[in-house]
Amino acid sequence: MQDAITTLINSSDTQGKYLDDGSLERLQNYFRSGELRAKAAMTISANAATIVTRTTAKSLLYTDITAPGGNMYTCRRYAACVRDMDYFLRYATYAMLAGDPSILDERVLNGLRETYNSLGVPVGATVRAVQAMKEVTTEMLGAEAGKEMGLYFDHICTGLS
Amino acid sequence: MSIVKQVILNADEELRYPTPGELKMIRTFCKSGGDRIQVVKHLEEKAPTIVEKGTRQFWKVCPRTPSNSGSRLKTQSAKRDMSWYIRLISYCLIAGNGQPLQDIGLTGMKELYANVGIPLTNILQYLKCLKAEAIKQLDEADAAEVIPYFDQIIQEIALPGPPYFMNDGPGESVPV
Repeated sequence: MQDAITTLINSSDTQGKYLDDGSLERLQNYFRSGELRAKAAMTISANAATIVTRTTAKSLLYTDITAPGGNMYTCRRYAACVRDMDYFLRYATYAMLAGDPSILDERVLNGLRETYNSLGVPVGATVRAVQAMKEVTTEMLGAEAGKEMGLYFDHICTGLS
Repeated sequence: MSIVKQVILNADEELRYPTPGELKMIRTFCKSGGDRIQVVKHLEEKAPTIVEKGTRQFWKVCPRTPSNSGSRLKTQSAKRDMSWYIRLISYCLIAGNGQPLQDIGLTGMKELYANVGIPLTNILQYLKCLKAEAIKQLDEADAAEVIPYFDQIIQEIALPGPPYFMNDGPGESVPV
């Protein structure tokens, strides 16, 4: 995976150069947002279960998907869905801390659509749930940190569809 | 690899969120980011002087060395290598740990110098001279940030590394 810092170092190193002013400016911005990112990660980690509960309540519960014949019907499938929501939230938090979405590509999205297709998990409903998670976290974190997290939730949705 | 990346990889290894302690580390790291960028700027500015004066000092201590043999190519390569080490140190200042130096510059370094025929003891001496010059050129606070990474390179060369053969006890000293 990459983070905001490693990416800049690697691209400077392939040119054999010190970090130029543009890169230093971007670093400076990342460093400035460090407080915000760490605080957001702290809040999410303390409320992860709540966020997932609210997300499922908001987007999935009492729809066709939880009714008999739906893909979340049977406790086992329900639990698997909740686990995946947990994963999305945790990896989005990692990406937000890193300031770079590459960890999502490598560890979540790689092969996920194919897996979901073969298991019959509806991508549309998943995207709806991730969008709901974005709203729930934004409510919890406030606009600024919520917007930053939103980037990575959107990245998951784009990768899925 | 920055410490942010390290924290994330460690957390993911155990399927958990970063702990409050780890997040505090990231916070401190970001807070000192602006200062570290200043150190990088100072180091970059002084790098040519450090290399130039360090080289002259090195030739005084160790006159018989490829870079002082009259071959312009060898002199240039030596100075280039040393300025590269300083550049890698600037990456470490930004990343907050010695990993970039290790990955880019130190792994395989001994093998490389053995292959091109540069005596490692001379490189060691050279780096010690650069370190001394860096202390002279930078102010105290900057030097305190930079010197540990010089030490990292020096340690890498000075330490013997893994042994080539096992000592199996007495009686087997004559090779078969």
